Amino acid sequence: MIKVSNISKRIGKVQALNQLSFSADDGMITGLLGPNGAGKTTCLRTIFGLLKPDEGYAEIDGIDVAKHPVAAKQQLGLFPDPFGLYERLTPREYIRYFAALNGMSKQAASTATAEVLSKLRMEDIADRRCKGFSQGQRMKTALAQAIVHQPTNIILDEPTRGLDVMSTRVLRDLLLQLKQQGHCVLFSSHVMQEVAALCDRVIVMANGKVAAIGSPQQLCEQTGQTSLEEAFIQLIGTDEGIAA
Amino acid sequence: MMAKVFTLLRKELVDASRDKRSVLAGLYYAIGTPLLMCGLFIVLINQLSSPEDLPVKMINADKAPDLVRYLGQQGINSGSGEKADKLVLQISSDYPQKMARGESAEVTVIADNSDEKMQDSIRRLQKALQAYSAEMGSLRLIARGIDPRVLQPLKVEMHDQATPDSKGGMILGIALFTMLYSVFISGMNLAIDTSAGERERNSLGLLLSHPVTTGQLVISKLLAVTAFAMLGLILILLISHFAYPLVPWAELGFSISISPQFMLLMLVVGLPVAMLAASLQLFVSFMAKTFKEAQSYLTMVMFIPLALAMSASYNIAPEVLKWLPVSGQQQALMEVIKGKTLPWMELAIASGLTLLIAAILATALARMLRSEKVVFGL
Repeated sequence: MIKVSNISKRIGKVQALNQLSFSADDGMITGLLGPNGAGKTTCLRTIFGLLKPDEGYAEIDGIDVAKHPVAAKQQLGLFPDPFGLYERLTPREYIRYFAALNGMSKQAASTATAEVLSKLRMEDIADRRCKGFSQGQRMKTALAQAIVHQPTNIILDEPTRGLDVMSTRVLRDLLLQLKQQGHCVLFSSHVMQEVAALCDRVIVMANGKVAAIGSPQQLCEQTGQTSLEEAFIQLIGTDEGIAA
Repeated sequence: MMAKVFTLLRKELVDASRDKRSVLAGLYYAIGTPLLMCGLFIVLINQLSSPEDLPVKMINADKAPDLVRYLGQQGINSGSGEKADKLVLQISSDYPQKMARGESAEVTVIADNSDEKMQDSIRRLQKALQAYSAEMGSLRLIARGIDPRVLQPLKVEMHDQATPDSKGGMILGIALFTMLYSVFISGMNLAIDTSAGERERNSLGLLLSHPVTTGQLVISKLLAVTAFAMLGLILILLISHFAYPLVPWAELGFSISISPQFMLLMLVVGLPVAMLAASLQLFVSFMAKTFKEAQSYLTMVMFIPLALAMSASYNIAPEVLKWLPVSGQQQALMEVIKGKTLPWMELAIASGLTLLIAAILATALARMLRSEKVVFGL
């Protein structure tokens, strides 16, 4: 469960977030939809405590991120943009490293790493150094890092960028699986299709504010449009910065 | 808490040991420098020391056969050729007459005094001439029935307290400095890679989004860089241990030997310096946005320890340098290698200051990494 209350954040001269409030529940996939520059990444970084909000607060499972950062992050997995791989480590070492950083014992970290490697069908690349990996292989490694310690909340920043069909399917299946296991999944995107296909709830963001919240179905009904894309354009008032 | 530091440290070391650039940077310095220094010293010693037989071009040698014979006994012979032309002894043509009359006979030494290589030879010739002059003077007094001691109201005796090892202060200073400086060189590339490099590769944000404190992060990076710095120091000590005995120190009247005891002392003394180097390098590189930027900052910053240590070994420094980081350790080590006792007090204060500065830098860095401006380079 992720809860954001009245967060405002100024970066330089830009008001990146403006009284933003929403929540993402367990057992649900929540999409953060907005055009480029809407403040999606800033919002996610604030939830991780990497940015400090000027006003408001973010809670993870009821723990205030700003006050207890380590305890709050314990319940978070991040799939970042960009990935931030260590090119000289193998995926197995990389994933095990982050598992251990989340407090797992050596034994538990190794077991969890082996499990997630097989879940994502990465055994063939598990012991090769990350240098020279394809975009799909990088995505899988970063994804494995985000879920290896079984956090209740998983946040993904633009997860489908640059992926081919096969990789996108792996990602989509995994997100649905996580939802069934009762995890809270929050991802940001500006790609309509995947939001429409995956999300139970969509938070439409524009100019650092929430423009609308609801299921894709509800958003269409609310605006009287037939497709999410049309609904979205009507909600944010422009079609700038959107990929179909 | 400690488990996380250990996990972080282990990853840093594995990552660094696979980074060719980081490993080679330390390796090149540790292996290259002692060999280079030895080569340099060998050439220097050959040039500075006067050869056994010193050829001198003598003009009018036939006018002063006794003097020539005397010089010959000292290994100073009349010669010709390019080498002899650099040092000329001109005996005046009225030398025999003046000598016979008991007056001062004129001899002229012609040489280029600014030529470093000739210094030793010029001094040797002058000394031999003075000794001959004194001997002749005594003989003249005796011939007149006077005790030559009347001309020596003072009999100065010199008790040289310098042990052979204490003579080569400057050379020792340079040799020691190159060893101590290895803690700055060996870890530098890793320090940049793990800070500015980490940010450049976008892994810093990811790392900080995991449940680790910036303090744990800084400690682990500090330990990793220190470990590399110390490895460099161990390596350079080992190479020096075998390389320095190859230099013909005996010609200078002292020797540098890197004994196992001295190596041990150097490692103990070098540890705080290595920690200072690591914290300084991490602090500076974290302020830079890219690898390249960090490199250019560090090149400038690394000049400070260089200046401190060098001024300490040249004896041009004010007393206060004995108590300061790097220069304090450098001076203490020089005392020891000269065969004197270790200045405990100065070394303890210098080491304490070194650790204090390292701790302050590390704390400041941990605080700095909590700032979003630093993490994202906003």
